[in-house]
Formats: sequence, C-alpha cells, structure tokens
Amino acid sequence: MAHCERAAKPLLQCLQKSYTKGLPGLQVQATRAFQTTAIAREEAQTETKSQPFHKSPDPALVSSPRLERRLLRQGISPIGSRRRRAALETSPNIPFEQLPYQCFQEARNILQADREEKLKDIVTIREKIARLEAVPTEQAGGLQVKNSKLVAMNLHLDHLKVLADVNDPLVKKKFEDGQGDMSKPIYRYLADKKWREYRRKILVQRITQMKVIPDVLPHCDPVVDTKLYFGRTATQPGEFVNSRVSATTPKLDVQLFERGEKLVTIAVVDSDIPNVEKDGFDYRTHYLAVNVPISATSTKVDLSKLSSESQVVLPWMAPTAQKGSPYHRLSVFIMEQKDAKPLNVADIKAKETDRSKTLRTLQARYHLKAIGAHLFRTQWDETMEEVMRENGYSDVDMELRRKRVEPLPYKRRNPSTFR
Amino acid sequence: MLQQRLIAPFRVLERAIGPTLRSTQSIPRSSPSIIPRSIISASAPAFSNRLFPLSQVRHASHASQGTANRHSRDPAGKRLGAKRSGGEYVVPGCIIFRQRGTKWFPGENCAMGRDHTIYATEAGYVRYYLNPELHSERKYIGVCFEKDGKLPTPRNAPSRRKLNRVAVPRIETVPAPIAGQSDLVASIEDGVKVSSVEAVNAESGSQLRPGYMYREANWQIGRAAEKAGITAKQYSRNNRWLAWRKRKARAERAAQMKSLKNKKKASKGKGGR
Repeated sequence: MAHCERAAKPLLQCLQKSYTKGLPGLQVQATRAFQTTAIAREEAQTETKSQPFHKSPDPALVSSPRLERRLLRQGISPIGSRRRRAALETSPNIPFEQLPYQCFQEARNILQADREEKLKDIVTIREKIARLEAVPTEQAGGLQVKNSKLVAMNLHLDHLKVLADVNDPLVKKKFEDGQGDMSKPIYRYLADKKWREYRRKILVQRITQMKVIPDVLPHCDPVVDTKLYFGRTATQPGEFVNSRVSATTPKLDVQLFERGEKLVTIAVVDSDIPNVEKDGFDYRTHYLAVNVPISATSTKVDLSKLSSESQVVLPWMAPTAQKGSPYHRLSVFIMEQKDAKPLNVADIKAKETDRSKTLRTLQARYHLKAIGAHLFRTQWDETMEEVMRENGYSDVDMELRRKRVEPLPYKRRNPSTFR
Repeated sequence: MLQQRLIAPFRVLERAIGPTLRSTQSIPRSSPSIIPRSIISASAPAFSNRLFPLSQVRHASHASQGTANRHSRDPAGKRLGAKRSGGEYVVPGCIIFRQRGTKWFPGENCAMGRDHTIYATEAGYVRYYLNPELHSERKYIGVCFEKDGKLPTPRNAPSRRKLNRVAVPRIETVPAPIAGQSDLVASIEDGVKVSSVEAVNAESGSQLRPGYMYREANWQIGRAAEKAGITAKQYSRNNRWLAWRKRKARAERAAQMKSLKNKKKASKGKGGR
C-alpha cells in the first residue's frame, strides 16, 4: 500500500460512513471532489474547454505574475492573495460544511452556537430599546437620562452585531477579497480596523510632522479614510505632486465607517504662500465645496463634477510654488457639517469670495468638524512656469533668494578674565 | 621556621624604638605595626631606609616628572556652558549652549549640533524654558522673534515662521547646448591660444595641440563611437540570458588564465629541478 493511500484511508472511511447516513446529493459531490477535482473548476473547464488556462486566466485561481499582469491589463484584479490562489488551484474546493475533519467541524459548531447566542442578545436588546422608547420621558427620569440610556443601548447593539459575525470565516474571506458589503456593520468594522492599523497612522504622522495640524486647523482626529487621485494615480499623504498633474482637479475617495449619510464640506488649503512684505506666510484656499453627501457605500467624490450652483463655492485653482520658496503644503480637509444640515450656498458664495481666509475662521463660522484629512506638497519644477502663466499668477518672473544675515558685531566680553 | 626566627629580633627592636617614632610622626601609618610584611623578607639596607626616612631625598628632577594619573584627576576645562544668556539677541548659527549630552534640548527656532551644541536657526532673542505639554522633564532653549515674547507657544496655535527671503527678478538658467570647444589651454608661438580657437573650427578636425601635434580634441576622440553610430546595448537587470553568457565567458577566461599560470609554474618547477 502506497503512503498516500494509507494516509487517505481514514478520510475515505469517514466519507463512506457519512455517505450512508447523510444527504446523498451533497455527498456524491463531496466524494467526487475528494477523488478528482473541484466541481466549480470542472464546470468552468467545461464552459471554456476550447481555451486553455493561460489564454483566459481565472482571477480567483491565477497565481503566476505574468498571467496576473495580463488580467490587470484587462482591468480585472486577481482575487485574494497569490498564496491563497496558488493553494486554491490544487485544492478540491470542498465547502466548509463537508470538510471531513472532526476537530474542525466541532470548532465550527462552537462558533455557530456563539453566533446563535449573539443573535438572541440582539433580539433582546432591540426589545429593550423599543420598550424604553415607548416609556414617556417623565417616567424614564428626564430627557437626558433617557437619551443617554438609549445611546448606550444602541452602542451595545452595534457591538453585538459585529460580534455575531466577526468569527465567520466566510465573512473574513469576503472582506479580504474586497467583496465586503459596506452597508453591513461587520464589513465597516473590519475596514475601519484595517485602515487604523496602518494607513491612518501614516496620515496622522504626516499631518503632525509637517505641522499641518497646528498651522491650518488646531485639531483633527481623522475618522474617515480619504484617498486623493490626480487622474487615475493615487497620491500618498505628503507626496510631492508635479505642477502639471496637480493643475487638473483631483478626485477623492472618502470612505465613511459609520452608518448613515453625512453632509461634508471639502476644503483644500495652501498654508505656505510667501509674503515678502510681511516676511511671513499667508493662506490660500484652492478649493471649497459644501453640502457634499458621503456615506459608507457612496464614497467617490469627483471635485470637478460637483454642481457649481449648489455645492462648489470656490472652484479648483492650480497649486503653485514660486521659485525659491520653501515647499507648499496643500492640505485637504473633509469637514462634517453640524447635524448633517445643508448650508446655504448662496450666502456662503456671497461671503467667501476671499481665498486668503484661513480655514479656522470658516470652521468657526459654520460649526464644522474635521473628520478626514489628506496632504500633498508642491514645489518649483520644470512645468511650474507654464502652469503659473496659464493661471495668471503675477509672481512668475520673480524669484525668492535668501536674505543675507548680518553677523553679530564682535564684542570682547569681560576682558578682565582674559589673560 | 626560619622567618619566625628572623622576625623575633626585629620585634624587640620595634618595641624599643616604637614610642619615639610615633611621637615624631615621621611615618604616618594606620596599622600598628611599622614593619610591613614585604620589608620583613627584604634585605637589610632597605629596611634601614624605611626606618630612618629623614635621610630620604626627593630630587627636583624626580619630582618634575609629575604624579601618576594626574590627567584623569584634573583635566583641562572644556569651556562648556551657556554662551548666550536668556533675552540676548542671536543670529542664525549663533551658538547658545555647549554641553556634554543633552542637558538642554533645542526648542523653537533652535537646532542641535553633532556634539549636542544648541544653536539658533533664526534671528531673535534667547529663551530658556520648560514645555510640560511636550515633555515633562526636558529643559528647552528657544529663540523668540519679539524681544518680550514668551515661549513655549500654545500647542494648537499656528507656528510662527519667517520667510527670510527677498524677491529678485528670476534669471532663466537655460542649459546652453554644449558648443564644441577645445579642451586644452596652452599658448603656442605667435600668440595663438588653443582655447581661443573658435568652437566651429575646433569641431572641424585636427588642430595644433600642445606637443606640436595636429590631432582632434580629446572630447572628439571620445565621441568617435557616437559619430559612427555604434551603440552599446542598454543594460537591463532582467536580461538573465545576457548575464549568464557574460558569467560563462568570465568563468572560461578565468579557467584559461589559471591553466596558463599552472603551466608556467610547472615549467618553472621543472627548470628548478
């Protein structure tokens, strides 16, 4: 008896046993799967029998970099990690319920039982909330007490919803494949966790190290994931962007991790406009739009496609840097409007015509709260002159040079001690 | 045994002389016995020297050699400490504090040098301060723009900066196309310099070069391949086929050289025998 056969003996026995008592249809599939290959793959092969794998690679199974690249060129991104895809290629692809491992199935049962328990808890807390809402305010001990209780219970409910699904391997797989439905709390929770693990840390480090935080706004705690695109390329926080590239209006991808819709104000501010007379720096607002709706499912915001009547207050202005000036930090701020109420655009348009106003005044005036930020930088480059001329900047022909520092006069200090 | 017998007369001697010695205080010793163990085994003249220290002389030449380990006991001062006090005006680069280690940290508009020296990066007035919001323990040195300004500035206030630049008309720095020019400067008789030959001429062909040679300029010789249209293949990291061929050729060459060397050695060895 060969080694592999001996090793497979208990498995075969198990399958035969279950075949006698289990559902015949499923088990037929399982035994077939065990003996030969995956059903799904077989079906796929029968469909495209005329074409070999390298001609039309499957995004779920492709594992060689060359084929991956070909898929990417077609606009299809491979699913999951390469390691997983390589493993799937040779695996029989049996569903979890039919895997013949006793310990695994026991563990699954425990997780299932836990999920049932969590679902029961959800039902009870929902009933509790409904009961409390039905009670009149006077009996519940005042409006504040009632509200705080309701808020606490709702938070607990959200937590339970996450706990119910957090151990589900299928949920994890879907999330890792990028197929998670952001309208469900579990996927929002996982996405938030992933964002906070690395990307948010980088963002916060950049905006604090480059002093955007005390310079533009006094405080910002990012809670939405913001990505910035010029054309189709994403910009890392703090990256230097070529002036020709940044002359086009960017796109934003604002991922909210909370339920519901929010109305936000989007502002792009340059905090390093040199002012020679003042011997200091000014601010310039390069873009301002209000009443932009964002939610967990609708994340894309194209700044050039927002309506110029009802949303855009100040249209995009190409960021520039005069020759010799230190690099310019252009910070993008996503600011939540109070109570998700729309602002009156006509009023704001009449008021905010001055681009040199600081973001602090705007924030104070309209009760905005910064929930997201991004940052890119610009400096003098080859295309900057053209861009400045196109956009009518007056200071193209001037260059900034370092001022000569007058040295201190030599002073003999306390000569009696010198010997 | 022998030592015991030797020590006995010394003990007697000590008892006799001891009180007088103690009163004179010529040999300051903490131990009651004036005869150390080393001396017991030493020869007689050394012993007598110890007993009568008044006869010992320390000559000037001997003393001038100095004490051992004096340098570690009091080294020269390193002139550390504050060079500018609080409120004093400084310019960029002005050293404010010299220290070993970070007794003070650079605060606003200050930086720290290689040897932890604190120096100013902006013109202003020196401030020595604590910043509990930033760090509970550290002492900072900063430079303030106003004479009566205060440091530290609040954490959420926008940072105060100076431009320190002046606007001047921008000069176009167009990289001029490198015109042909001779690369040597040497005077030849009748006052013609090689460098003064016009660029167009220099490119046309051979010229009189130092050493009385008619030849092309070095830079022209260097561009011969370019003119002939010979191009080297661009190096590509990923071209493993080419890399393999090169490696192979190198190995072959090495093997050939080695075999030649061995042959030489072998022939030499034979000749020697």
